Amino acid sequence: MPVAEPETRQPETRKLIPQSDSRARRKRRTLLDNLATKVVGVGGFSIIASILAILLFIFTEIFPLFSNAEVSLSTSFKAQDILAGQGDAADVALLGLNEHQEIGYILSRTGRLSFFAVKDGAEVAHELFSLGEARVTSAIQSLKGKRLTLGTSDGRAILVEIDFGVRFKQGKRSYAPRAKQVADITLDENRSALTSLAAAGDVSETLALSAITDDARVLLYLQQTEESLFGDAETTSSQIELEKIWSGTPASIALDATVRNFYMGSDDGKIYHWTLTPDAAPDFVSAVRVRNSPGAINTLNFLIGGRTLVAGESTGAVSAWFLVRDKTSPAGWRLTRIHEMTPHPSGVTAVAASARGKGFISGDANGGLHLEHTTSERHLASFSRKTGSAIELISYAPKANGALILDSAGEIAHWLVDNPHPEAGLKAFFGKVWYEGYEEPEHVWQSTGGTDEFEPKLSLVPLIFGSLKGTFYTLILSIPIAVLAALYTSQFMHPALRSKIKPTVEIMAALPSVVLGFLGGLWLAPRIEAVVPAVLLMSILIPVIVILAARAWDGVPLRIRNRFRPGIESMLLVPILLLAAWFCLYLNGAIENAFFGGSFKDWVYQTLNVGYDQRNALVVGMAMGFAVIPIIYTISEDALSNVPRTLISGSLALGATPWQTAIRVVLPTAAAGIFTAVMIGLGRAVGETMIVLMATGNTPIMDWNIFNGFRTLSANIAVEIPEAPVGGTLYRVLFLAAMLLFMITFAVNTVAEVVRQRLREKYQRL
Amino acid sequence: MMPDSVTHDYTGPDARPGQKAAPKPAAESVHSQSQNQPGAKPEGQSITIPDPVVQVEDWFFSYGGDWVLKEINLEIARKEVTAFIGPSGCGKSTLLRCFNRLNDLIDGARHQGRIVADGTDIYGPDLDVTELRKRVGMVFQKSNPFPKTIYENIAYGPRILGLRDRSRLDEIVEKSLKDAALWDEVKDRLETSALGLSGGQQQRLCIARTIAVEPEVVLMDEPCSALDPIATAKIEELILELKKDYTIVIVTHNMQQAARISDYTAYLWLGQLIEFDETDLIFTNPKQKLTEDYITGRFG
Repeated sequence: MPVAEPETRQPETRKLIPQSDSRARRKRRTLLDNLATKVVGVGGFSIIASILAILLFIFTEIFPLFSNAEVSLSTSFKAQDILAGQGDAADVALLGLNEHQEIGYILSRTGRLSFFAVKDGAEVAHELFSLGEARVTSAIQSLKGKRLTLGTSDGRAILVEIDFGVRFKQGKRSYAPRAKQVADITLDENRSALTSLAAAGDVSETLALSAITDDARVLLYLQQTEESLFGDAETTSSQIELEKIWSGTPASIALDATVRNFYMGSDDGKIYHWTLTPDAAPDFVSAVRVRNSPGAINTLNFLIGGRTLVAGESTGAVSAWFLVRDKTSPAGWRLTRIHEMTPHPSGVTAVAASARGKGFISGDANGGLHLEHTTSERHLASFSRKTGSAIELISYAPKANGALILDSAGEIAHWLVDNPHPEAGLKAFFGKVWYEGYEEPEHVWQSTGGTDEFEPKLSLVPLIFGSLKGTFYTLILSIPIAVLAALYTSQFMHPALRSKIKPTVEIMAALPSVVLGFLGGLWLAPRIEAVVPAVLLMSILIPVIVILAARAWDGVPLRIRNRFRPGIESMLLVPILLLAAWFCLYLNGAIENAFFGGSFKDWVYQTLNVGYDQRNALVVGMAMGFAVIPIIYTISEDALSNVPRTLISGSLALGATPWQTAIRVVLPTAAAGIFTAVMIGLGRAVGETMIVLMATGNTPIMDWNIFNGFRTLSANIAVEIPEAPVGGTLYRVLFLAAMLLFMITFAVNTVAEVVRQRLREKYQRL
Repeated sequence: MMPDSVTHDYTGPDARPGQKAAPKPAAESVHSQSQNQPGAKPEGQSITIPDPVVQVEDWFFSYGGDWVLKEINLEIARKEVTAFIGPSGCGKSTLLRCFNRLNDLIDGARHQGRIVADGTDIYGPDLDVTELRKRVGMVFQKSNPFPKTIYENIAYGPRILGLRDRSRLDEIVEKSLKDAALWDEVKDRLETSALGLSGGQQQRLCIARTIAVEPEVVLMDEPCSALDPIATAKIEELILELKKDYTIVIVTHNMQQAARISDYTAYLWLGQLIEFDETDLIFTNPKQKLTEDYITGRFG
């Protein structure tokens, strides 16, 4: 019992300000005091500064995601200079660039392909294709610019392959470019000029060519080469002129990469769709009017991957389309407008798709150029020569970092494009995006695929959802256990027991989370999977049994009850709890047979229409509970123990039972501390990585079902960082995820602190 | 009322004959009894009171080490004020807390002897402690209002006893506050936090809270030690007022206070009851030298 000693006063003998203390001593004290103040100040400031520096670093990593592309003019020259007097702008059929943007090529209508150095426009080499009297009336190239298809005025299609002949001499690149004609196919028996061309496939396997003739017929040519077992190649080909079912005049055509779909845009604003099958006539599927008052479909181009079709109209509108599964349509698919891009002020004259991602450059009749990306629906740049001459030809560099552009004035401009993160953007990260092959806009995270044709799906929403789901299930399991345990140990447990239990629980907090994740994923998950009904039963039965046991204890005569010291009687619960758990496990089979038709997992699948994942939110809740419970428990216990004894005594002295005291006085008084504990636990659960990484399947799906897995922001960073090249979009998106995590924890902590201050203010006079 | 339970066998299982006088330290339950006869020889003088509420008989008490109360024998008079005085550490607060068994909360506490309230042994095995505490209220040295509103503080006791009727609660709150001479000061702010009251008001609130459950005995553990003279005067006035309805036991450091308000005074010194008598007699004509030394201020 604290006893205040009576105050004893020493007789005052010293002077109020002792003069005898040497001045040097006082000086030294002042100096040390100042020094300490400065050291502490520097320490505190450097901590704040380093946190700000980390934030600044993260911010600088994220910032480029949201900045637009930079396009700058490198050089320009006159087309006739390169053609060496053999023609002017009207005589250019095609332009191209190599991947280093050092060698370009220009194809004249006379069939002369000249290679030139991009830096000065000087011709390096040239190739002549013998066309006889004919001229090149149309030409297209593959995305990488190495395969050309030439359409001639006498109805032939000539396939050409280009080799830039790059060599390295003493670390410097040199070129010996060559072009080789690989096929010469007569497309039109009528020998009409081919004004527009489309090509898909490859000469060695399936090749599809299509053309519009100058008399407005649409031709299709399919060639299949099958190599027999003994190496003999057998080529079959078919040639079809499409039945004229369209209104207006064909303006543009496109063949998809799988050689299964053919599209034709007409000058009255419709896109016609046929499906192609080998050895059968093309099957007309539908005609789609692109909009209410459409212009002519001037251009139809497939983006990389051959699924998204970009349609440019004479009104300047640009839209992206692809086939969406639709059971109501006879073909099972419906051509749907997916993205509406930024319109040009005048008619679209040329479009070039990027070989890196779902981007393209479109040019208009006034010389304006747009750099666009379909997935993120971003308009990344507008650029032009300001001469107002219409864009004739666009050639996008194979690495999507430059373009050669010819205008009607005969100017060839070489632009440099710095467009590092076209697929990023707020809409891509947080909005619903309609991805290729999906039936509707969705939030999807799927950052990397096998090929360049893959459309990265960078929605962070499933990851935020995963973080929240993991936190939710963890806290649902942890808060009741931790807070009630803290209340019990602080208010009811015998002090001798308490002094052992508390440190033990605190040691739990020191368990490395990788161990918890490992145990959760590899040990706990399969065991729970085997006895899910029992686990569910336990969650109901055990609390009920505890309450019943407490009721029964009340019925025990006081004489026996008083033998047990308060706080020790709970030990009697241990065998009861073990028995209850055993009983639940014993009943597992019976319950599964009686209520779940013999198999819980099948029942879940049939009833809730979701599969039971072995590593699911339930397992994570339990494994993460091991990490979170000690935190909530320790801080809550401290808060509850710190409730002044005088308050507890005051309540008990009024005749309140310990339980009434705990619930009505202790718990409300410690509310601030318990709230803080829960918030810190929440912060831990949000940021926890290893446990969720190992104990969930890391499936970025959005489903609240407790039997499904999920992927959290933190686990996603851990999973994807080995796949993310430094400075790439994914790399920066992971930093964005880190920033989001930081913001969530920051918000949680701020709310916690504000509420804690409020509550503390309320009780501060205690 | 339970019949007098004098027949209890206090022989604990671990009692051994011939054990030394010094009690064993700690680790024993409140109810395990030690049979050792404490060594200290009491020299207290006590008077008998006609109709006592509480009788303390050969009471020994320990927090786990040595006995801090040794062979206390005294009786508390009904509807009178009994004061416990004595130097710091003499055990007067401990004795007070024995009356409502608040010392049970301390681990290792042991006792011997009996405290009988209205014929019931309050340390008997059949006693419900919460029932006892309802009937023996307590006001503490440091005012300890709950962090709730003034109304809720008063209503707390009746509520835990199961009273739900709001109008009845209102009545109790008003009556208790009036009895504690606090009504006029707080009637307009019953719904504000009790922590906003001044120290003296808080202490009167605690008194009101205690009498709201209508106990028979009110224990007061130095209720004025943290208050200024004006607040102290108010509390003293209140105690004299409360005496009409309640038996009051007050521990005080302040001898003038004991002299002013109490009818009986017990002087404790080093855990022993030195003298217990009517207050007038103690202060005018102490029978013991120790008492005289203390009340004349020769030590303390």
